[in-house]
Amino acid sequence: MTAALNSSEPDAPDQTLRASYLAQVWQRFRKNRIAVLGVWCIGVLVALAILAPVLSGNQPLYFRAQGNTQFPFFSGLFNRLLFESGVDLFFNLLLVLLPLYALVYWVIRRQSGVHFHGRYWRVLGALVGFHCALFLTASVEQLGSIQNPLYFTETVTDYHALQAQLEAQGHDVDSVFPMRPYSYRQTAPLRGLEAPSGDHWFGTDSEGRDVFARMLFGTRISLTIGVIAVGIYVGIGVVLGALAGYFGGAVDMWISRMIEVMICFPSFFLILTLAALIEQRSIFHVMIIIGVTSWTGVARLIRAEFLKHKSLEYAQAAIALGLTQTRVIFVHILPNAIAPVLVSATFGIASAILTESALAFLGIGDLTVASWGETLNTGRTQEKLWLILVPGFAIFFVVSIFNLVGEGLRDALDPKLKT
Amino acid sequence: MKAYILRRLLIMLPTFCGISLIVFLVLNLAPGRPGAQQQSTDLASDLRGQSTQESFQIFREQFSLDKPILFNSRFALEPAELEHLLKVSARLIPATAAEQIAAREALEDFGEYGIPHLVELIGQADKTVRDNSGNEASPAASDSAEVAAARHIRDLGVYFLKLNARRPLVDPFNSAPSDELRAKNQRIDSENAEIREMSYALDAPEAEKRAILDKWQAWYGERRQRYEYSSLDKVRVFFLDTRFARYWRNLVKLDFGVSLVSREPVMDTLLSKLKYSLSLSVVSLLLAYLVSIPLGIFSAVKKDTPGDRALTVGLFMLYSLPSFFVATLLLIYLSVGSDIAWLRWFPTGGWQSQDFDQLTTWGKLKDVAWHLVLPLFCLTYGSLAALSRYMRTGLLEVIRSDYVRTARAKGLPESEVIGRHALRNGLLPILTLLGGLLPAVLGGSVIVEYIFGIPGMGLWVIEAIYQRDYNVIMAVQLSSTILVLVGLLLTDLSYALVDPRIRYQ
Repeated sequence: MTAALNSSEPDAPDQTLRASYLAQVWQRFRKNRIAVLGVWCIGVLVALAILAPVLSGNQPLYFRAQGNTQFPFFSGLFNRLLFESGVDLFFNLLLVLLPLYALVYWVIRRQSGVHFHGRYWRVLGALVGFHCALFLTASVEQLGSIQNPLYFTETVTDYHALQAQLEAQGHDVDSVFPMRPYSYRQTAPLRGLEAPSGDHWFGTDSEGRDVFARMLFGTRISLTIGVIAVGIYVGIGVVLGALAGYFGGAVDMWISRMIEVMICFPSFFLILTLAALIEQRSIFHVMIIIGVTSWTGVARLIRAEFLKHKSLEYAQAAIALGLTQTRVIFVHILPNAIAPVLVSATFGIASAILTESALAFLGIGDLTVASWGETLNTGRTQEKLWLILVPGFAIFFVVSIFNLVGEGLRDALDPKLKT
Repeated sequence: MKAYILRRLLIMLPTFCGISLIVFLVLNLAPGRPGAQQQSTDLASDLRGQSTQESFQIFREQFSLDKPILFNSRFALEPAELEHLLKVSARLIPATAAEQIAAREALEDFGEYGIPHLVELIGQADKTVRDNSGNEASPAASDSAEVAAARHIRDLGVYFLKLNARRPLVDPFNSAPSDELRAKNQRIDSENAEIREMSYALDAPEAEKRAILDKWQAWYGERRQRYEYSSLDKVRVFFLDTRFARYWRNLVKLDFGVSLVSREPVMDTLLSKLKYSLSLSVVSLLLAYLVSIPLGIFSAVKKDTPGDRALTVGLFMLYSLPSFFVATLLLIYLSVGSDIAWLRWFPTGGWQSQDFDQLTTWGKLKDVAWHLVLPLFCLTYGSLAALSRYMRTGLLEVIRSDYVRTARAKGLPESEVIGRHALRNGLLPILTLLGGLLPAVLGGSVIVEYIFGIPGMGLWVIEAIYQRDYNVIMAVQLSSTILVLVGLLLTDLSYALVDPRIRYQ
């Protein structure tokens, strides 16, 4: 007993001292079982979003007939007739390259061994950066004078019909299709508004598109909307809030007035107006609009934190050392002030998803992508139960997951708040 | 207190200006123009059917769409610029159809500022035509390319001159004009009528064209002074003859202009719509507070009991439920109009029944209440979670304080301790929330009004957005902003009611 006490006692306080602030937060967060479950659910959602084409699509992964072997699925991933939206392109690229990324990650991890912890974010950042660069390259039609190999349109073969035809002629056909045989954009005018069945798990919408596939691909849209819109407004809010809090005086006055002006807007009106005024809006327009109209909360948080941290010793020391102001702001103070923003960003993802589906519900979204709100609106006008319940619960599920994780983060960041 | 309110109102002014500037810029810089569908793109048909073109021009003038957005420097126009635009619109320079249309619009929008240059250009072109035309009888046949171009520019120039020389009526939507105003408008009208006669068909004989051109020169000679600008004029024009200045001038007069679609004054419609939206929002906020305060007290008093936990979870679920989903479900399952309803308890939507006018006052009240149950529920339930949570936290903090312990120690019953001593201080945090809740409720009412077909501001603004009815969008945005500002002021004042320690000086 005494020995155990003696051996553990010098260690314990040391351990907590050594653990960084974020690590402490993470430890508290892990104790909240519901929030951890929420994180797992987000993981599942991301997996669903990446794997969506494997779960539902009309191009076979493998097709062999008359001694001829084809893999139409993989070229189909980059066929603009099958996947038009940039969001789909991003996730399809990710689907193809994920094994490669996992390999790179594993190799680096093995090599760096114990010292890996510090490099964790850098490796992850490099991979994300590489992927985004690749995505941007892939979304341009021409690279100089060369036709982009990842940008092509090709007539889509109906392999189900082909297989049926070949089998009727007595040929042997070997094929592996995705789990559900429907693409989310494939319309079937004669099979509109079918109730859920073994064939269409969640029924079909008014144009005969498979609702299950649309829900699956809608996950991609919702997650992207949440992350990018929040990314944009956290960026704007952090910069403006940091400037206001750090410099004070006239800068603070002007930025605070700007914040005040934006707060008084019923922001949904503004978003609605902006979205409606853009002709041929894409889902990225919606993200940008949500991003540029919702930064006030983050700016206020960061401003308050900077006001507090500016006078603390470490910040004063950094200033006294003669570091550039950019360095003091972004390298020294910001990492200490960013924690409350994490909470606000998590709740922000939930509300961005809500806003996007509300816009789509009003018919002011991007009509080319599979948005949950749009399906819900079809359900409203057609009075079909499955077209209301399925997207409605999908939105509810995702929104409440992000809210749960946000609550967990808030409790973990500031245990005093938990009453 | 009065001084404080006054100071707050003064601070609101710059905020309001900032908001109006943002709304204005968003609407005016956005691509896509109102009324564009009224315009035909065929130049030849326009030269014949000039009245349609003129009416489109009048439409643009009425809504100041022909003015520059923020600053007007058209007094410094160069004749070469106009010549270039004329050539583009006559396709003497290779141009796409879009460029041609843009050039024609620019020429039309220059208005009075283009007139001196147009007169000059027409004079030059006419001189070229006169010097070179040999055969008076059939001039077109013998023209060289240069002369043909000059002729084309001259004829087009007369067309644009005629469009731009026309002057808009003063205050055209004034229903009770003074005698002076009426006389002024009559003068402008007769002048416009005179101008309307001063045009010719493209295939008119050269002598007739000459006569008209001479008339134009005489016309311009008489009014030369009107088109010369002193430096003071230039400053005035630069800042004041713009869309923004006109918009603000009208705003100060509380005049939001006329709806581009219904052609009715926006202000009148706005007031009638405000009735619905405002009562919906205010009642919803009241309800939210009335329900969440007891809920918050309950969970604070019964802290960590199963009841508290269940309430927190339940409210959290409600908070995550999108209101358009709930509204759709309720409408389909609980309303009379739906085919698959379980309980036909509530009307399909709207504000009142068709036989509303025959009802007694009590009956009217009941009718409206019956229509509002579902919309109010959908608008309110989302804010319950945040409000009751804050109420709970605030109250728990107060309950721990010394004076509450003292109150308990002196033997007061628990209801007295909570209700009289703790509650007031516990209310402060949720009063602060009112400021943020107001824009959210106003924004949320868009969706609720859309689904339930309540003819309030939300439904109106959605329709206006679909039709690009700028004046309506602007009016709704600004009036809702004013509502929010007033709400924020009321929030601050209500602190004083709840907490006598707060004094505003």
